[in-house]
Amino acid sequence: MDEVFKALADSSRRSLLDRLHARNGQTLNELCEGLAMTRQAVTKHLAILEEANLITTIRHGREKLHYLNPMPIHQIGERWIRKFERSKLAALNELKRQLENGDE
Amino acid sequence: MNLDQFKPLTVYTIYIASTPEKVWEALTSAEFSRKYFSGFAVEMEPKLGGSFVVHAPDGSEHIRGEVFEYDPPRRLTVSWNVNWPDLVEKLGTTIVTYEIEQAGEAVRLTLSQRHDRELSDDILSGGRTGWPAILSGLKSLLETGKAPHIEMSPPVRLLEALKAMGIKVP
Repeated sequence: MDEVFKALADSSRRSLLDRLHARNGQTLNELCEGLAMTRQAVTKHLAILEEANLITTIRHGREKLHYLNPMPIHQIGERWIRKFERSKLAALNELKRQLENGDE
Repeated sequence: MNLDQFKPLTVYTIYIASTPEKVWEALTSAEFSRKYFSGFAVEMEPKLGGSFVVHAPDGSEHIRGEVFEYDPPRRLTVSWNVNWPDLVEKLGTTIVTYEIEQAGEAVRLTLSQRHDRELSDDILSGGRTGWPAILSGLKSLLETGKAPHIEMSPPVRLLEALKAMGIKVP
């Protein structure tokens, strides 16, 4: 899990993930477009993200495409967040039920 | 059908402390899939061109497809078409590929969902909420012997988008 947090602790890497979130399956060229980072820097950041399993690369035809992989973050969510969300939803549902029934 | 025309739109990778053979078996057998896939039973004819069918817990057929790539325990590609009228006609065939690789002492499972046309995020949202739960469940089952019970709420955005396209959904 350390490598996931280390990978996310850099704003350039987070912005690459944002780009893939907006449009998944981009080539290196597409990801470099319009960025202030050098191609070399982008390549380095993508390697770190892939090492942390936050992105997956797949060959499609002659191109290598990059995909956002949410699994590591999903697992962090399962571990620390999910039961708190469920409790909050249950409390809100209970409040809604009481208000609809006119409970004091 | 030409697989090259199908581009991956969603790709997920998960590491599982197991063997490629066990991961393959869990992905293709009803006994395992019922446990991590919300009671849905996967049945596959183990050969190229074989059928690939998923039955809902009530026994009805939910997904029907065909095996397009068959290389156990490394690679499996199937068509993954939900049995709603007009769905395939309007969205095209859905192709699912499982790649199973040894990665040190663990197995790296890569799932890619491929389509022959651009699809909206609303349409893709069904798979995107479903797969993480299925893959996490599979990982837990193989690693601990138990899959957590996962509440799968209906994929509202997907259903609304399908209705807007004139596809009858249950």
